[in-house]
Amino acid sequence: MSKVLSALMFSICVGAVLCAQNPAPAAPARGGRQAAPPAAEQGGGRGAQSPASQRPPQTTKPQEYAAEQVRAGRTVFSSQCGFCHGRDAAGGESGPDLTRSSVVAEDLRGNKIAPVLRNGRVDKGMPAFNLTPSEVAAIVAFIHDQKTKAESEQGGRRAVDLADLQTGDAEAGRQYFNGAGGCAKCHSPGGDLAGVAKKREGLVLLQRMLYPTGGRGGPAPAPATVIVTLASGQTISGKLAYRDEFVIALTDADGWYRSWPANQVTFMVNNPLEAHAAQLGKYTDDDMHNVLAYLQTLK
Amino acid sequence: MKGIVLRVAVLLVSCGTVAAQGLDPATLLEPPADSWPMYHGDYSGQRHSSLGQITPANVHQLTLAWAFQTGQTTQIKATPILANGILYITTPDNVWALDARSAHQLWRYTYPTNQGFHIGHRGAAVYKESVYLTTPDAHLVSLNAKDGKVKWDAVIADSKKGYWSTNAPLLIRDHLIVGVSGDFDNLPGILRSFDPETGKPQWTFYSTPPLGAPDSISGGATGGQMWMTGTYDPALNLLYVGTGNPTPTLNGKMRPGDNPWTCSILAVNPDSGKLAWGFQASPHDTHDWDAAEVPVLVDGNFNGMPRKMLMQASRNGYFFVLDRTDGKSLLTVPFATANWTSGVDKDGRPIPSVAKEPARDGRLIAPDEAGGTNYRSPSFDPRTGLFIVSARDAYGIYFYKPEHGAYGWAGADYGVYGNGVLRAIDYQSGKVRWNHELGTGAGAGVLTTDSGLVFTGDASGNVMALRTSDGTTLWHSAIGSVGTSPVTYELDRRQYLVVGGGGVLYAFTLPANK
Repeated sequence: MSKVLSALMFSICVGAVLCAQNPAPAAPARGGRQAAPPAAEQGGGRGAQSPASQRPPQTTKPQEYAAEQVRAGRTVFSSQCGFCHGRDAAGGESGPDLTRSSVVAEDLRGNKIAPVLRNGRVDKGMPAFNLTPSEVAAIVAFIHDQKTKAESEQGGRRAVDLADLQTGDAEAGRQYFNGAGGCAKCHSPGGDLAGVAKKREGLVLLQRMLYPTGGRGGPAPAPATVIVTLASGQTISGKLAYRDEFVIALTDADGWYRSWPANQVTFMVNNPLEAHAAQLGKYTDDDMHNVLAYLQTLK
Repeated sequence: MKGIVLRVAVLLVSCGTVAAQGLDPATLLEPPADSWPMYHGDYSGQRHSSLGQITPANVHQLTLAWAFQTGQTTQIKATPILANGILYITTPDNVWALDARSAHQLWRYTYPTNQGFHIGHRGAAVYKESVYLTTPDAHLVSLNAKDGKVKWDAVIADSKKGYWSTNAPLLIRDHLIVGVSGDFDNLPGILRSFDPETGKPQWTFYSTPPLGAPDSISGGATGGQMWMTGTYDPALNLLYVGTGNPTPTLNGKMRPGDNPWTCSILAVNPDSGKLAWGFQASPHDTHDWDAAEVPVLVDGNFNGMPRKMLMQASRNGYFFVLDRTDGKSLLTVPFATANWTSGVDKDGRPIPSVAKEPARDGRLIAPDEAGGTNYRSPSFDPRTGLFIVSARDAYGIYFYKPEHGAYGWAGADYGVYGNGVLRAIDYQSGKVRWNHELGTGAGAGVLTTDSGLVFTGDASGNVMALRTSDGTTLWHSAIGSVGTSPVTYELDRRQYLVVGGGGVLYAFTLPANK
């Protein structure tokens, strides 16, 4: 069991499994001015950094839109998107700053943005939108226009910079990691966390340290697992595919989704992230900053 | 049995009077069984129904009576309003009038395209022969209840400044009381009363002073928007309403002191718009924890003394019981994970810990921005004395640095983790009697009935009936993401449960008698 645990730690939760069920494109966040990496590379390199902790990605291919369309887009965007993403698209209550979004940076006349609008990102709380093609085109025009404006300005309204997070003591963090924090029960600096600071930094590293889900800096590595025992005594194990009060489901070794009424089988879910959730009530703010400082040394 | 006979008699009588003259505001004092005539069902905000046809013994037989498709992807977050056999349901910019027996659409009204936030809508209000809708650009529209035609359109607040409205208006006699939202801009908090006949403004109450006003007590804070529907005590003639967060939101440096009356529970005279008393649930809030949640009014004993109480499960994770005659605290206790206080002061107010204000390097704080609970309605069950609320145990990280400025949000915060739990609280002790896991984030409100049932929804799209005494699940149906607070009423001697799943409204009832 401990082998399973260590393999899964710093990985994925039930929510990320649900994410896999929704074919909405994941956030291929990236930095710098280089061309977009393919989606498969999201987890590594600079592909996993927080849009809010670094220089925003630049538009891959500059586009021009008619002022009239931008104006129409402002109306639709403000009413449908503005609460979460801000009226200026630079972040609102719960939604990210779209002027720093790599989806927007890589978008060419809606080819990346439109699918997100149509499908939503249900795992992250974004609903699907039922918009006309002209409304979608207008929103795309408005977002690009806002990004162009943002690129000419300094700073970010809701930015958390890498430098802001450098208040921890790495040695104290190492001691907490190996001692009171209990992190070493599942993780090791030479194992799963080797080079973690090269893969992620800043806010995303902090968020994934606290509670790693697929939405934060790249895909979720591995799912929670479940062992289901049928009335006959037969046991079936696999990745936890779905769970609510009434249904338990897994993806079996052949890749098939299989579900049962939760009250007609017994099952044991192994969700290693429970330890992360429990730790949130134990960290002091100093502990949190110290462990981050320690993780930043694992290059 | 006697009770049922009586209720039928009342129903027949009230049907006659109500149908003849529209909704008389006096009936709101004691809503008949064949209605759900206002947002909370009645003025108390208890969301507790005396209907008893659906019981713990037969609830497993509940079956679909009808489903109404709005045809929209927008989730229904509104409470349906029922008057005169007609059900009114809203989403931003939209009202549908439906036959409550069949879901047959009588009319639909769509407000013109506008730039206000289309984030959600709580519901309509009815008065005589009118139906009222607040709009994303902070207008109040009066519609003819018979055909949905516009009677008048009044401006509540200037949407160009950043106000919007999702509010279900509260009707008190001849006052139609509406609130607005607006915490992306530094705007004074306003609540307004309109003449329901003409749309003429009657009064405006400010929770934070209008810009340039003398004698400010708010410490420089704006905000404190009253975006949720209040409750009302007819005997005391007081309207109770919760206020939202101060602005700038995460930057507390620019607004020293407690910042009254933000994050507060207020008692306001509905005739004059004057403040009677205020209680601050979160003095000097820096975490966006509105105290806009429903102020539930309960008459009962507290520590052996009969009391007129007000109860609120607040977004900051604390459960408050106040004496609603004067706003004095009776109980303050956390009901969800909260790590942001250094204690409770002599007046029952949580004391915010300076160490848990947003900071440049981040602070790990419980609850997160979405809070220990939110706009979804709780319910109070008088038989068990349980206050039942959809709660969250959640953590977020909060950042503020001077570069974030002093306008609007003025900071950054990110949710880390949250778990949803339906929580039954003993109102006299604050002790949790039972918990029922709901999943990562449930968006449904709660309804209780006299027969001992709790209705709510979980995070996976199930509407559920639980036994009030212990929280055991007795029935469920997977209808899609439940964003409404369920309602119930009786028509043709059948009790209905009406609840939204995604963009569809569902009605459940027991199988018809043979």
